[in-house]
Amino acid sequence: MPIEIILPKFGFTLETADIVQWLKHEGDTVRSGDAICEVTTDKVNMEVEAPETGTLWKFLYPQGATVPVTEVIAVMLRLNEAPPIDGDALLQTRYGQNAPAIAVMPVADTLETNGAKDKTAITPLARRVAQAANLSVENLTGTGTNQRITRRDVEAALSPSALTSTGKPRATPAARAFAHQSDVELTRIPGTGVRGRIQRADVETYVAAQPTPLVEATKPPPEIDGQADQTVIKMTGMRLTIATRLQKSFQDAPHIFFDAQIDTAAINTIRSKAKARKEKLSITSILVKAAAWTLLKHPFVNATLHGDEIMQWKTANIGVAVALQEGLIVPVIHHVETLGLGSIQTRLDDVVNRAQNNSLRMHDLSDGTFTISNLGMYGVDRFTAIINPPQVAILAVGRTQRVFVPDDNDQPVIKSLMQITLSADHRVVDGAQAALFLNDLRAALEDPTQLLF
Amino acid sequence: MRELTYAEALREGLRQAMTTDPNVFVIGEDIGVYGGAFGVTAGLLSEFGEQRVIDTPISEAGIAGACIGAALTGMRPVGEIQFMDFVTLTMEQIVLQAAKVRFMFGGKASVPMVLRMPGGSGTGAAAQHSESLENWFVHVPGLKVVMPSSPYDAKGLLLAAIDDNNPVIFVEHKLLYKTKGHVPEEAYRLPLSQTNIVREGKHLTVVATSIMVNRALAAADELAKEGIELEIIDPRTLKPLDDAPIIESVKKTGRALIVHEAVEMGGFGGEIVARIAGGEAFDYLEAPVRRLAALDIPIPYNRELEHHTVPQTESIIVEARKLVQGAY
Amino acid sequence: MANERLMPEMIQRYHDIIETVGPEFLKESLQTMHTIRAFEERAEQLFSLGRVHGTMHLSIGQEATAVGASSAMEDGDYLLNHHRGHGHCLAWGSDASRMMAEFMGKETGYCRGRGGSMHIADVESNNLGANGIVAGGVPLSVGVGLSIKMRKTDQVCLVIFGDGAANEGAFHEALNMASIWDLPIIFLCENNQYAMSMPMPKAFNVEKISTRATAYNIPGITVDGNDVLAVYEAVKTAADRARRGEGPSLVESVTYRYKGHSKSDKQAYRTREEVQDWQDNRDPIMRLSDLLVTAGITTQAEADSMRDTALKIIDDAVEFSENSASPDLASIAEGVYA
Repeated sequence: MPIEIILPKFGFTLETADIVQWLKHEGDTVRSGDAICEVTTDKVNMEVEAPETGTLWKFLYPQGATVPVTEVIAVMLRLNEAPPIDGDALLQTRYGQNAPAIAVMPVADTLETNGAKDKTAITPLARRVAQAANLSVENLTGTGTNQRITRRDVEAALSPSALTSTGKPRATPAARAFAHQSDVELTRIPGTGVRGRIQRADVETYVAAQPTPLVEATKPPPEIDGQADQTVIKMTGMRLTIATRLQKSFQDAPHIFFDAQIDTAAINTIRSKAKARKEKLSITSILVKAAAWTLLKHPFVNATLHGDEIMQWKTANIGVAVALQEGLIVPVIHHVETLGLGSIQTRLDDVVNRAQNNSLRMHDLSDGTFTISNLGMYGVDRFTAIINPPQVAILAVGRTQRVFVPDDNDQPVIKSLMQITLSADHRVVDGAQAALFLNDLRAALEDPTQLLF
Repeated sequence: MRELTYAEALREGLRQAMTTDPNVFVIGEDIGVYGGAFGVTAGLLSEFGEQRVIDTPISEAGIAGACIGAALTGMRPVGEIQFMDFVTLTMEQIVLQAAKVRFMFGGKASVPMVLRMPGGSGTGAAAQHSESLENWFVHVPGLKVVMPSSPYDAKGLLLAAIDDNNPVIFVEHKLLYKTKGHVPEEAYRLPLSQTNIVREGKHLTVVATSIMVNRALAAADELAKEGIELEIIDPRTLKPLDDAPIIESVKKTGRALIVHEAVEMGGFGGEIVARIAGGEAFDYLEAPVRRLAALDIPIPYNRELEHHTVPQTESIIVEARKLVQGAY
Repeated sequence: MANERLMPEMIQRYHDIIETVGPEFLKESLQTMHTIRAFEERAEQLFSLGRVHGTMHLSIGQEATAVGASSAMEDGDYLLNHHRGHGHCLAWGSDASRMMAEFMGKETGYCRGRGGSMHIADVESNNLGANGIVAGGVPLSVGVGLSIKMRKTDQVCLVIFGDGAANEGAFHEALNMASIWDLPIIFLCENNQYAMSMPMPKAFNVEKISTRATAYNIPGITVDGNDVLAVYEAVKTAADRARRGEGPSLVESVTYRYKGHSKSDKQAYRTREEVQDWQDNRDPIMRLSDLLVTAGITTQAEADSMRDTALKIIDDAVEFSENSASPDLASIAEGVYA
C-alpha cells in the first residue's frame, strides 16, 4: 500500500507553498526523515521529509508548482514493496486533478486546548475555518481520509462556486481570457454566475472599479531627458505577503495604543555588568525577558485570536521584528519564560543572523504570542506598530532620551527614558487590561529583580 | 410577392433543371402517375414522359444503384426515396459505391447524383416512417448532405445540388412541404456549403437545421418581447460544413444553442459543439454550449408523445431563455 | 492432349465461329489467356513475398470466361466486374503494368494506388471498376443501361458477378428492373461453384443459376466456362440481342478456380483431387491451345511460346511498378469530391 507524503501545513495561516525543487528522484531509496523536497512559503524555505523508510515512487507536482497545504505531493513505497498493478490508474483516480485533499494534523496541533474529540471526524483546520464562518459541520460530507471533513470541504460548502474541486476559481472561458488580458487575478473577483461562476461582466466590473492599475509591468516608465521619473517594482513574495497581512491586520483589529516611558537605569546596570563579564546583552533581550514575565501574568495579552476563539497561551513565545532589505520578518523565541537572559541573547543573535541569511525555518516563525519591535536605534522617538496576527498585542520601542524629570522633591533630575508604545487588539484586550499589562511591564523593566521570583 | 409551397418550389426546381439539361431525370417509387408520395413530382410525367420520370418497383437498392450507374455514365439523376427511413435499404450502394467510387478510382470518375428524401416526425407516421438519419451520411466521406428549411432554400439548394458533381443526399421535411414562402421564378442557385444567417441577434447563437429553423424563428419572435435577441444560423449544407459564420457568431454572443430534430446522441449537434469548444470561439464562451434534440427513443405513435420527443417552439424558448439568463 | 477424342467434334461445332472470327482473333485470345495466368501467378508470388499488401483474389483457371466474354464486346461497351477481376480487366485491354502498379499501391496505378486489387477501374476504356461488394456492381448496371437508353447509343453493359452474388437481394432488384425496362445489359454469372467456402449446391435450390432468368422473363443460358468459344458465343448472342433493343440476358459460365477464395483461404471445403481433376483435365488454356493446334491454326511451339511472351509482359509490368513512385502523402485527401 503506497505511503502518502503530504505537504505539511507549516503554520496556522499557511494556505499554499511552492515547490522549489525535488531533492531526490523517483525511485530513490530514502530513510525516514530524509529531506525529499524543498518548498517555499510566505517567507521561508522549508523541507518536506520522508515519513518512512522506503522507495520514492511518484512525485505528483513539478518544480515550480503551487500546492495547497495538506495535499499529497508524492507517494512512496515501503522497502521491497512493489508498485500496485494498476498503479497508473490508482494515481490518476486518487491523486489526479479531482482528488480530494488528504486531511492531516497540522504540525502545531499539540497546543490545541480543545482536547475533546468531535463526533464528526474533521481536521482541526477545517473546524477552525468552519467556526470562523459560523458554518455547522454536522451535515458536511468529508472527502478526506476516512471521510474526514477537510478544509476544502468546508470551503466548498461555504461558497460552492468559489473554487472548483481542483482549487481553481470557477470562471467562463470569456472571463478567463479577459482577466488574463487585463492582468487581473481571478481569485480576487466575485462571480455572479451560476454557482458563483465568474462571468466576463464580473471581470469588467472589477477592472472598472480599480482606482489605478495594479501593476504597470508592461508599460515602460516615461522618460524625461533620458532619465526615468519612476521605477516600477511589482509586489511579490515577502513584500506582497507583508502588504496583505498588515492591511488585513489593520482592517480587522481595532487597535488601541498605550504609551509608557521606561526609566532605563536598571537595564543599563544589568547591561554594564554583563559587558564587564564580556557577555553580550542587548536591550532587546531584556525587553524579551521582561515581556515574557509580564505576559504570563496577563493571559489576555499572551493570547492569539482565531475567528471567535481566543487562545490563551501558557508559554510566552516572543517574536522580535527584524528589518531585512526586502521587508520585515518576525522570528520567534519560544518558551522565553524557561530561558535566562544569556540563552535569550544567544537565540536572538541566531535568529537575526539566520533571518538575514534567509535560512529561517518555519518553526522560527511559528506560534508567536507577542511581538517586540525595537526601532530605538533608528532615532525614532516613538511609533505605533501594527499587530502581527493572530497575536493580540505588539510593543513598539522607541529611542531612549535623557530628560529632566522632577523627583519626589520636585527637583529636576536627569533620567534616561525609553519610549514604549503598546498596541492592543480591542476585541480581546480592554483598555484597563492593556494599562495593567503595561504597568507591570514597566515595573519589570525598571526593577528586573522581580524577574528572579 | 410570389409565394410557393416547399413542395411546389422543389417541383419548379426539378422542372427547370430537366428543361435546361436533358441529362437530368427523376427516378423513384410512385413519382410518375401518382406524382410522388408528397406530391413533389406531380405533373412531371406528363411534361417529360416516362423516359425521364421513371417509376420503379419497390427496390431501393436498385434505385440507388440505378442513380449511381447512370451518374457514372454521363447522366444527372435525381432519385427519390419515399421516406428517409427507407434509405436504410440503399446504404450499401450509397455508402460503398456512390461515396467511394471516385476516391477508389484515384479521383477519376464522378457520381453527379441527388438522392431526395423526406425525413422527420409530426405526422403520426410512427417509428419506421419518421426518421432523421442525416448524420449517418455526414459521417461518410465523399457525400454531401443538404437540408433546406424553406421553400426559397429548397429550390435554390436543389438546383445547386443537381449542378454539383458529387452525390448529394437532399433531406426534406414532411411537415415543411405545405409551408409557403417567397420563391423567385428564375432558376436561381443557393451555393452548397454556404451557411445562412437567418436572423441577427446579440444574446444567443442558435444553430438550427430543417424545420428547427422555423421553430427557432418563432421562438425568437417570442423572446424578442422579453428583450432577448436570438441570432439564428442555418448551415443549409451539413457536409461539407461552412462553420466560419457560426464561430464568428459565438464570438459575438458568447452563448450557443444547437437545435435539430435527430436524436441528440450522436447527432449533428455534437459536431457543432466540438467545433465551438475546440477552436477560436472557446475563449468567448460565457456559458456551456447546449443542444436541444430528440430524445433517445424511436418516434412514438401517440401524438402528444411524438410532440414531446423532438424540440418544439416552446422548448426552444425555454432553453434559450435559460441560457441567456445564466441558468447554466 | 487431354481432349483428343473430343477435338474433331469441337472443331466441327465451332467451325462457323472460327471462320467468322479468324485465326488472329483466336491466337490473340490464347495469348491473352496466357497473359492472365502469368499475371495471376506472379501476383501470387509477389504477395507471398510481401511485396503486395492487403489480399488477393486470383482467377487462375477462369481465363476462358474473361477472354471469351470480353472478346464478344465492342469498343465503347461498359464493363462492371468484381473482386476476382484481374482477368476481366486484362481481357478488356487494360495495361498489365498499370494494374501491377495499382497492386503495389503506386501513383502510376490505374487508381493512383487508392483502390488496390479489388477496385481496379479504367474509366477511359469504360471499365467502371471491379467491386469489392458481392453484387455491388449489379444495381449499377441498371443505371448504366438506363443511361445508354436515354442517350440512345448502341452501347451494351457487361456486368460480371459470381455465383454468390446471385443470392444478394440487389441482384434480384437489378434483374427485375433491367427486365421491365428492357435494358441493354448482359448479366454474366461467372459460376466457379464456390462462394468462398459455400459450394453452389448448398446455396441454391436450382441446379443452374441461369434458370433464375425465367423469374424475370429474360433469356438465360448456362455454358462451359472453360471453353472460351462457348463463352464467346453466348455473350455475343446476348450482346447482339441487347444492341437490337431486346433487353437483358443472363449468361451463366461454369468454371473453376484453382486457388483459394483469397490468400487466407485454407480450402477445407474441397478436396485436392477435385482441384487436380479440373487442372489436369479441363484447363481452359490447354483446351484452346489443343483446339488451335489440332485445327492447324497454330503450331505447338508457337502456342507454347505464348507463355514466354506472357512472362515477359509480366516481367516488364513488375519492373515498371517497382520503379514507380508511391503517392505523395500531401495528396492524401485528393479525389474525394469532384
